[in-house]
Amino acid sequence: MSGRVIVVTSGKGGVGKTTATANIGVALASTGASVALVDMDIGLRNLDILMGLENRVVYNLVDVVEEKCKLRQALVKDKRLPSLCLLPAAQTRDKSAVNAEQMKKLSDELKTMFDYVLIDSPAGIESGFQNAIAGASEAVVICTPEMSAVRDADRVIGLLEARKEEIGQYRLIINRIRPQMVKSNDMMSVQDVLEILSVKLLGVVPEDDEVIVSTNKGEPLSGGENVRAGQAYRNIAQRLKGEEVPFLDLDSLNATWLSKVVSFFNPTARV
Amino acid sequence: MQVLNWFFRTKGDDVRTRAKDRMRLMLIHDRLELPPDRLASLEEELIAVVSRYFEIDRDTTRFDLQQYERRAALVANFPLLRSKS
Ligand SMILES: Nc1ncnc2c1ncn2[C@@H]1O[C@H](COP(=O)(O)OP(=O)(O)O)[C@@H](O)[C@H]1O
Ligand SMILES: [Mg+2]
Repeated sequence: MSGRVIVVTSGKGGVGKTTATANIGVALASTGASVALVDMDIGLRNLDILMGLENRVVYNLVDVVEEKCKLRQALVKDKRLPSLCLLPAAQTRDKSAVNAEQMKKLSDELKTMFDYVLIDSPAGIESGFQNAIAGASEAVVICTPEMSAVRDADRVIGLLEARKEEIGQYRLIINRIRPQMVKSNDMMSVQDVLEILSVKLLGVVPEDDEVIVSTNKGEPLSGGENVRAGQAYRNIAQRLKGEEVPFLDLDSLNATWLSKVVSFFNPTARV
Repeated sequence: MQVLNWFFRTKGDDVRTRAKDRMRLMLIHDRLELPPDRLASLEEELIAVVSRYFEIDRDTTRFDLQQYERRAALVANFPLLRSKS
């Protein structure tokens, strides 16, 4: 088996990387694919909490790299979804505990075991970021429609472009869109951000309180079909699988949420 | 900056348009690692050079950046009135 290693990254912290990793992971695993979620935010372990697996963590990624345990021993199986595993970060170590070469080796091993290896990365573009992208062949860049997040996403895209040979493709998720604010022209729209960054869109996730509720429960996507953010993550998972799923048009509130397709992207936009 | 700000103030002055315009300008400078006043001084120099050969119409001079995907292009337009001897 040779799975796909996809790094979830953003530059800026707090834009929704960990939340997206957990939700997309659950969505992919729900379709029957085998998925490993790797928490690369060493020292700031989070993904186990979002997955509700914090009480089952025994070993972590650094233990694997330092050969204190076998990879299989460190993988925490999600009992609700048997095809989903988590490789937790170390909480009491820092980023310098691993290097890019070790991460590459780890990713290579994981992709022989799983269809999808999703790597949640730390904020920043320093060593932690470099380690997180080291073994990846694809990237998902996340930003919110705020200027600082878009700027950091642009920086990350520049760094990913420079590694075209390893990272064959990268796509953007725009998170925490607030249609009401876009409509009143108080916030950049999806099209605005896409024009500015000139990047392929993977998905749009609305601001949604249910995200916080499901995080508190430790059950991503637990809200069911009617949760808008949940639906957005499911669509993203399907697009990752190569299926064509129309984009939900959050910019237009006149239409019902599900009925329109985002028309995007004017490559010769004026600057 | 001044030059570009003038150009950017196009349709509407709402927060969204302003954010978008500031964003574009910022990213062009980021991507090229261009210091903020560099473009304005380039414009001054170019105008000085062209002015040695031509009288140009300063009122309709255009000097701005366009985005082509993730690349920027410098587009200058100096309307010529007459050549200098
Ligand atoms: N679509 C969303 N709607 C509402 N809250 C969100 C959304 N996405 C993320 N959040 C919240 O934003 C915060 C930061 O998210 P997190 O995934 O930890 O970001 P990161 O991993 O990029 O630092 C969390 O409190 C999370 O619940
Ligand atoms: Mg995180």
